[in-house]
Amino acid sequence: MKIIAKVLLGFLFVFAFSACESTDAVESGTYTGTVDEVEPAKTEIYVKTADGKTLELYFTNETSLTKSGEVVDFSMLEEGMTVEVEVEKVGKRLDPISVVIME
Amino acid sequence: MNQLPDFWRTEVLHPLSVHLPIALLLVATAFKLVSLWRSGETWSRGGSILLFVGVIGGWMSVYTGNLADGVVARELCDPTVLKDHENAALIMVWLFTSAVILEMIYSFLKKTWLKLLMVGAMIIGSGFLGYTGHLGATLVYQQAAGVYVPSDDCEEFQ
Repeated sequence: MKIIAKVLLGFLFVFAFSACESTDAVESGTYTGTVDEVEPAKTEIYVKTADGKTLELYFTNETSLTKSGEVVDFSMLEEGMTVEVEVEKVGKRLDPISVVIME
Repeated sequence: MNQLPDFWRTEVLHPLSVHLPIALLLVATAFKLVSLWRSGETWSRGGSILLFVGVIGGWMSVYTGNLADGVVARELCDPTVLKDHENAALIMVWLFTSAVILEMIYSFLKKTWLKLLMVGAMIIGSGFLGYTGHLGATLVYQQAAGVYVPSDDCEEFQ
């Protein structure tokens, strides 16, 4: 029982800290990366760039989402997709101007 | 003319739901700390009840915070503070959840080390609770997160 309690507690502590996400603020520009997470309810995506940075992007009314030159719905986005994003840095917030699905 | 928004907005549910669990979890920690030196049901049982109710409230606050995130994050100048706030809140609520589990195991085994571990998790959790609250206050008072800013001439209040 003592061992089970210790394992359970250790698991909870590790889970607590691993549940945290960190994001990065990058300069305005165009970045290519992989969609790490999609939050449809918030129209939000996390994009992991090749140099290990995580961009948290909340779509705005002005954000365009395209695939092969066609405008597509947000529901087309899935984890693991390669995307090219153009972002504008406002303060430390990243506003996505365009998101292009590459595959 | 600007229209005064409805008060019961999604993002307002979060500040309405966080303060009770903050109070409960801090007082629960104090009760459990005292129970290490003082015998009697009041401190130990009282601390347990406060802890259980506080953890339920803590998870409700995480839920309402997640709802608020979807609304306010687009308007913040530094959303990294919001991310730190969310991370600290998750660590905090998991620490207090660990304390609840330890409390339940303690009720069967009655081992002192379990009680010490539980109080330790609650003390560290209280530290994270204070930090979470500080970041939340920073979001509101420095970035006006979820706050309606009236027009210069207050026309919407006429």
